[in-house]
Amino acid sequence: MASNLATTYKDLTPAPQLDKATLNKMVWRSLFLQMSFNYERMQAGGWLYGILPALEKIHTNKEDLALSMQHNLEFFNTHPFLVTFVMGIVLSLEQVKADIPTIRAVRVAAMGPLGGIGDAIFWLTLVPITAGIAANFALDGSIIGPILFLVIFNVVQFVVRYFLMHWSYNLGSSAIGALTKHAKEFTHAATLLGIFVVGALIANMGSTTVAWTIANGESPIVIQSVIDSIFPKLIPLGLTCGLYWLIAKKNWSVVACIVLLLVVGIVGGFVGAFV
Amino acid sequence: MEIGIIQVLLIGVVGFIGGIDQFSFLESLYQPIVLGPIVGAILGNLDMGLKIGASYQLMSIGSMPIGGAQPPNAVLGGIMATVFAITLNRPDFESALGLAIPFGLLGQQAVNIWFTVASPVMTKMDHMSAEANVKGVERWNLIMMFGIGVLFAVIAMIGAYAGAELGTLLSEIVPDQVWAGFNAAGGMMKFVGFAVLMKVMISGEFWTVLIAGFALANVIDAAFGAGSYTLVIMAIVGAALAFYDFQINTKISAVASAAKEDYSDGI
Repeated sequence: MASNLATTYKDLTPAPQLDKATLNKMVWRSLFLQMSFNYERMQAGGWLYGILPALEKIHTNKEDLALSMQHNLEFFNTHPFLVTFVMGIVLSLEQVKADIPTIRAVRVAAMGPLGGIGDAIFWLTLVPITAGIAANFALDGSIIGPILFLVIFNVVQFVVRYFLMHWSYNLGSSAIGALTKHAKEFTHAATLLGIFVVGALIANMGSTTVAWTIANGESPIVIQSVIDSIFPKLIPLGLTCGLYWLIAKKNWSVVACIVLLLVVGIVGGFVGAFV
Repeated sequence: MEIGIIQVLLIGVVGFIGGIDQFSFLESLYQPIVLGPIVGAILGNLDMGLKIGASYQLMSIGSMPIGGAQPPNAVLGGIMATVFAITLNRPDFESALGLAIPFGLLGQQAVNIWFTVASPVMTKMDHMSAEANVKGVERWNLIMMFGIGVLFAVIAMIGAYAGAELGTLLSEIVPDQVWAGFNAAGGMMKFVGFAVLMKVMISGEFWTVLIAGFALANVIDAAFGAGSYTLVIMAIVGAALAFYDFQINTKISAVASAAKEDYSDGI
């Protein structure tokens, strides 16, 4: 785990610009962002898989490559169709060998907001419209329906992936000169933004609730409404802080925490905490 | 209508591709409007496959995987709706949609359980990363992708073979509490990921920022409904705070270094 990782790379010489072929290879690999999706770190494995061609080019020093791979395996979740935007920005930072806390903070700050934008573009607009049109053809028994759907959807997704990859990499590369001059202050500001987004993720993505009620004659006390009346999403916040305490202060491993949550979930299920 | 062994195997292939594609690759091959006609062709009734696939697509248009939520599974739901529509071969083919719903829910649970048990693989990848083992990380990513494909292939084949009885049987023998427990555990896994991020990012002064982000996101979720816009708004506010923080600190360090130069010049 990332506990004792160095915060700077050994070889601080900026790597040469990534060539178009490598960027295009990552556009292809970005299709597999969720290949090893899991509930602990979500897309982290697929994210690393996606940027590995570039990391291998950037970090010729093996220790630096290991360092970069390790911090790029931390929790990652963004919209699958917009991930190349995050790739471009992060790789422009890796290329100039920015401090690892800076890269991490930018990565976390960039991945969060894209989820809502991507949902709005793809799941709430593109799919309903194209599938709606295509369904009308298919209901008439025409094979044009599914073909139309596949063509429109995939043309849009490849254009978006390709454009974002090249655009954000160039954007990152040109903006970074100004930022490295004030690297320490920039890292502080980026970490602030990152932590702010993590706080938001806990509230926005945390959905754990309890179903317990206390018998109280005519009006049973619903535990969840009591908690909500103190502050909404207190259970996700409490669980996150508790796990933080176990991992950071008690040196619990991630696997131990997962097993703990499984036990809590199944035992809780049997005693009716979640139904 | 009886389904032959070759047809069951071909449906397994469809399940394999759909199981992978629902999360990786084109993320469009798995949609019922595409899988319906393919399964229809396998069972020798393309026309029915087109119609039932389109119906399932329209039914599920409001339950997309928005915000990381897992809707009833479109892959198994779509495959089984087509199987039922063709084997029952009724003019009111949409009744097959209802029969397929237990399989949609079963698929949803299969995904939940897979994403939960797949979590420890990350620790394995951590160790490989520490050794800069690029091939190892790539291999385990591929193994996990094929794993979910195989899982869906197996369920699709059993579903096609055993038909409707299986869905109701399963939902009867496994108590609701166990499903609920697995669901709850799956929903809690992400907190481990957040906790690890906090461990590497947070220092004393940032705790207030974390709580502020948490509190404001709650307000926005309450105002607009928990969903898509919250994190965009949070990023805009957070970027403004970060920009201000950057400005202040560069000025402070400029003043500090100017003062230091005065001193070193020797007063």
